[in-house]
Amino acid sequence: MTEPITSAQTSAAPSTIGPVRLELPPLSMMSRVARLTAAGIASMAGFSIEELDDINVMVSEVMVALVEHGAQSTIAVTFEVIDDCFTVRGATDLVDFDLDHPDLALCRTVLEAVSTRHGIEGTSERAEIWASLQQQQP
Amino acid sequence: MDSNKNFLTMATAPDGALMVAGDIDMAGGPILEQALLERESELLAQGGGDIVVDLTGVDFMDSSGLRSMLATARSAAARQANLELRSVGPQIIRLLEITGTVDQFTIASRRD
Repeated sequence: MTEPITSAQTSAAPSTIGPVRLELPPLSMMSRVARLTAAGIASMAGFSIEELDDINVMVSEVMVALVEHGAQSTIAVTFEVIDDCFTVRGATDLVDFDLDHPDLALCRTVLEAVSTRHGIEGTSERAEIWASLQQQQP
Repeated sequence: MDSNKNFLTMATAPDGALMVAGDIDMAGGPILEQALLERESELLAQGGGDIVVDLTGVDFMDSSGLRSMLATARSAAARQANLELRSVGPQIIRLLEITGTVDQFTIASRRD
C-alpha cells in the first residue's frame, strides 16, 4: 500500500529544479509562453510573489532582446533553479547584434535592476543572454 | 470591447479614457500603441487634450511595452499635452522608476 503524503513532505519547496528547456519560434507572443513556464518553475521552488514579478520581467527582457535583435531563428530557452537561485538563459542566432542599440540598452537597464546577476555572451553568429535571481528567504 | 487574440483588451470609458486589460509586452505593446495613435488622432480632431489610459487591468509591462507608451507620451508632449496614467500597478511603477521614465507620464493614481 502506498504511504500517505504528509504535510511535511509537501511543504518543502525543492532548492533545485531543472534544467527545463524550451525551443520557441521567434514570435513576440512566445514571451508569454516563456513567462508562464518560468512562473510555474519559480513558484514550485518557493519564490515569493515579488520575486515572481521580477522573474517575469527577467524572462520577458531576455525574450525581447532575442526576438527583436536575433536573426529570427529558433530561440532556445533554459530555466533552472540551483541552490534557490533561478536562472533563465536564452540563445539564438544573430545577423547583426548591436549591444549599444538603445532598445537593448533599455533591456539591460531593466535586467540590472530586477536580477541578482545577468550577462550577454556569445560570438558574432550566436548570442546567449542570461539572468539570475537568488531567492531571499527560501 | 475590442480584443486582439486576447493579447490586450481595450475599451473607451465615458470620459474618453482608454481602459486597458492584459499584458503590455512585445505582443500587446504594438496593439496599445496603435490604439493610442487612434485616440490621439481623435483628440487632435477635437482640438487637443490629454490622452488618458486606465491601467486597472494591467499587471505586467516590460521594456518593449514601455517603449510603446513612451512613443505616445513624446508625441503628446510635442503638442503640449500629456499621457495620463490612472490606476497604475506596482510592477509598472517599478519599471518606470528603474528606467527613469516616471516623469514622462502624468501618474494620476496608483493601486496596490
